[in-house]
Order: sequence, then C-alpha cells, then structure tokens
Amino acid sequence: MIEEAVRESRSARALRLVPTTGIDAESLVRRFRRTLALDGVSLTVAPGEIHALLGPNGAGKTTLVRILSGVIAPTSGTVSVAGLDAVSNPRELRTMLGIVPSGDRSFYLRISGFENLVFFARMHGLRRKAAGQRASELLEHVGLAEASGKRVGEYSHGMQKRLSVARALLTDPRVMLVDEATHDLDPEGSRRVQALVGDAAERGAAVLWATQRLEEIRGFARSVTLLDRGRVRFQGSVPRLLEHAVPRRYVVRLRNGRPGEIELQEAQRALGRAARITPPLEEGSEHHVIALSEDAVLGDAVAALARANVQVLACRQERSEIEEAFLALTQERPS
Amino acid sequence: MSAVVSEVLKIPAFVRRDFLVAWSYRMAFVTDLLGLAGQALLFYFVGQLVDPSKMPTYGGNEVSYLEFAAVGMLLGAFIQFGMQNIASAVRNEQLQGTLESLLVTPTAPHTIQLGSVAFLFLYIPIRLVLLLGVIAVAFGLEVQGSGVVPALVLLLGFMPFVWGLGVASAAAIVTFRRGAGLLAMGTLVVAFVSGLYFPIELLPDWLATVAEQNPIALAVEGMRESLLGGSGWAEVGSTLVLLVPMSLLALAFGVVAFRAALARERRLGTVGLY
Repeated sequence: MIEEAVRESRSARALRLVPTTGIDAESLVRRFRRTLALDGVSLTVAPGEIHALLGPNGAGKTTLVRILSGVIAPTSGTVSVAGLDAVSNPRELRTMLGIVPSGDRSFYLRISGFENLVFFARMHGLRRKAAGQRASELLEHVGLAEASGKRVGEYSHGMQKRLSVARALLTDPRVMLVDEATHDLDPEGSRRVQALVGDAAERGAAVLWATQRLEEIRGFARSVTLLDRGRVRFQGSVPRLLEHAVPRRYVVRLRNGRPGEIELQEAQRALGRAARITPPLEEGSEHHVIALSEDAVLGDAVAALARANVQVLACRQERSEIEEAFLALTQERPS
Repeated sequence: MSAVVSEVLKIPAFVRRDFLVAWSYRMAFVTDLLGLAGQALLFYFVGQLVDPSKMPTYGGNEVSYLEFAAVGMLLGAFIQFGMQNIASAVRNEQLQGTLESLLVTPTAPHTIQLGSVAFLFLYIPIRLVLLLGVIAVAFGLEVQGSGVVPALVLLLGFMPFVWGLGVASAAAIVTFRRGAGLLAMGTLVVAFVSGLYFPIELLPDWLATVAEQNPIALAVEGMRESLLGGSGWAEVGSTLVLLVPMSLLALAFGVVAFRAALARERRLGTVGLY
C-alpha cells in the first residue's frame, strides 16, 4: 500500500511540466545529530493551492516548515520557495513568505496587537505610516479591530492565532506556511483561521498547512502529503488519500427484540467469524463496537444480527475515513 | 533605497517597541533610578574614609575619592549595563519565543542585534547624566565644563568596545544558553583591573603594567582627565588613537562570533530552543 502511494506521488511529480512559483522541495534530508528528521522529502505546492501536510508527532512537519522558511538549512536536497532558493536567498525569500507558527509565544505580550503588527510590518520594510495603515486593515480583516489596543498577553488563543494570520498577511505573501495553527482552537476559532488562510489562497498564495487535525483538510486542502518518521507515506489528492481508508470497526447501537440487554454470546454466535462484538462502551449502554474480519462485509454482519433477533438501530464508523487512511499509512512500515 | 538604508530605517521600530515594553514596567524605571542614588550615597560615605592627598591629580587639580569614583562608576555602569543588555537582548527574544518570528522576516541578524539594544543605548546616557547630576547637586562634584564634550567623544570611541564585548557575550549565550554567571565574572574582572573604583597604581606592578593597556582603563583615565582635569582635545586625541583600533577590533570580533553562533544554530536547527 505504501509503495503504491509513493509510486502515485512519483508519477504526480513526473507530470509536473513547468516549475512552480509556489513551493518546490526536492529530496530534502535533515539530520539532527543521529536523528534523521526528514528522509528524502519532495513536495510541490502551486500558487493558489492549499496543500495539507499531515503526520503524527515527530513526523518532521515542523522541521520541513522551518527549512522552507529558511530558519534552518537542509542537510541535503534543494528547496525553492516563490521561485527563490531557500538556502542561498533566505532574506529575499522572506519578503514573499507569510508564516503562522505553531506556538503561541511569537508576539511581544506586553504591547498591543496593533503595535506588534506595526513592528513586524516595519521588519518587512514598511515605513511607519504605511505599517500603521496595513496593521489597521489587517486587524479589521481578522476581526480584531476592537481589540487592537489591548496587550497581546490579554488575548485568547484564538485571538492570538488570528493575529498571527494577520502578521503572515502583512506583505500579501506569495507563499504561506501554516504550522499547526488550529491545534488548540475551538471549532469556531479553527473555522475562522481556515477561512482567512483560504482567502489568501484564493488571492494566489501557495499554502502549506501542517496539521494533525485530520478532518479539517476535507473540503479545504486540494492535496496532501502524509509524513511519518521523516518519510513521505502518501502524496496526492484528498479523495486518493481516502482510498487508503478500509474501515473495519463500527460503533453500532443494538437492541434486543425483547426487553433487557442483548445477549452478547448470542450475538457473537450469530456473527460467527465475520466479526467480533465487544461489550457495551458503558454499562447499560446500547452502543457496541463490532470489528469485521478481513474478508467480511458490513451488510453480512448486520444481516446476521437481524437473524439473531438483534435490532441494529444505528451504525457509524468508529473513525473517520481520513483517520482510517492516516492510520493505515502510518501504522504500516516499509520493508 | 539601498539595503543598508532600509535596514537602518528599521532601528526606530525596535526603539519604539522596547520603549513600550519598558514603559509597561514603570516600576522598574523608578527602582533603577533609586538604585543609582543609593550607589552614589554609598561611595560618598566610603569617600569620607579616603585621604584626598593619596588620590591622583588631574590637570593639577586635587580630586576627592567621590569625584574619582564617580567617573569610574559612570563608565562601570555604562559597561555593565551595556554588556549585560546587549548580551541578553537576543537571549530575551529567544526566551520570549519571538526570535524565530524575527528571523523569518527579511531583517539582517545584525539589525536584530543592533535594534535589540538601540533603546538601551539611548536610555543609558540619559541614566548616566541623571546620575552625574544627582552626585553633582547632592555631593558637590566639580566637573570641568570644558571637558564635557571631549569626554563624550571619548565615550563615543569607547562604545564599539562595549558593543563588541556585548555581542561576543551574546554569541556565547546563544550557543551555551546560560551565560549570566560568566558575564558577571567577566564584569567583575574588568572592574578590578581597569581602575574604575581605585587607582591602578595600587595593583601589583606587573598587573598594573598590563592593566594600563586595558581599553577600559584608557577610557576611564581619559574621561577623568577631561571631566576632572579639564584637559583639551590633544590629550583626548592621543587616547583615542589607542582606543579606537581596540574598539573596532573588539566589535569585529563580536560580530564575527555572533554570526558564527547564529549560523551554528541554523545548522543544528536549534535557533528557537532555550
């Protein structure tokens, strides 16, 4: 499965006819003493595209983002961002780059959101007046106009993240690197950050969106790179990623045809080798997990339960398809 | 606009940022000034024990211990405050988590280094003038008016030296993370062999000979000659001829060390770690 995924990603690269002005990384290797953080990672993000970078903790996502932003150098490999070599032109590169870092501590907490933005705008070369105007526009754009005079230390996580997006947009970047921007946000906060980044992509920015929140990439990212232990396990579109999902575990709500709890042994006997049924998730609950065996299908299991007079009131996958694909790809190890 | 000009234009942004941050801790301003006043008072009482005839003369003028020590104290405060703050400026960015945010802007590392202490270099002279004013008014310090400008010029020639040491310390701190103890030790040694608080002649002969060539000793003696002895430009000029090359050398060393430290951090991927 992994070989197939990597083959797919190779053929996708082979189809690339023109160099992009977004992100173009080729065979990146990064070593930290004895640890191999990235092992031959290649990646392309076109202008206007949102590319999700998935991977469990320690997969190498942040290392990749730091290399792309020129903060650290790769051990080997080439990387071009917005048409510039990230290793030899890091300063020129940063004029075209907007970064939303993963941590919260990237602002001066004792001064206001407005003053922070003005300061970073000036670091991008804007004069005082222009920096002030741009800061005001962006604070308005990210919905922080009313809190612009408040110290950043008094901002909530969500507000700090939006301020971070505003900072990344200071110079209308051609490339945006977003590292775990929503990991500690509530759904509404995540949605707002996604919308802001989505707007930037619509205006032509190439966006690399590193995340562990798998569900947020559906309908948002056009393509995905799945990293695990520094290696690319999958590269392609979200629908192609979902093809790797083979759900085998379902949460089912069961009820007996007669009063009382279902007879587990009876249900298991009916299912036979097709599936294994677990006790209720909580005492008195009607929710059970059934795990299908390799060659069984869900319909057969449901029919078997019905024959044993067990009613299936509801059924859903225990994990989302994206989660299933993620686990399928990251739990297998290449030989 | 040239790259250098565009980098220089960023410095006021750092000054504004640091002023706003410092102003948000108003109490620290007050305690700093109170500390200076306390220091002056301490030297006044110690000075009561010292026989003025044992003090060196400047421009033929006898000086009290307080006058002698006041100039040393001014320069000592300048060195200590400057070195510690230059060294810790980048470290503070590292601890706040803002260093990486700065490094991903198109700003040169030297601008970050310079900008991070620009506010201090404006604040420190104000602080020194205040201290001098307090001592002059409270304890009758006699400053030769004609020596003030030459002394400031000397201070200007000495600044790159403090800057260089500070930047070299910053490089050590970026590399080793913990450097406060080393820095305090360095400041103590510097104070001891520079004649800031007592005449160098009191040191053993061999140490006194070495100490006389120390740029800090050159600067403090030159300032005493100007401020207490009213010596003219010729005297200051001959001190500057010795001092400026040493200052520039120290600055070059600091810049190279800092550049190497940052390059090493990038290579190891540990820029933002603390």
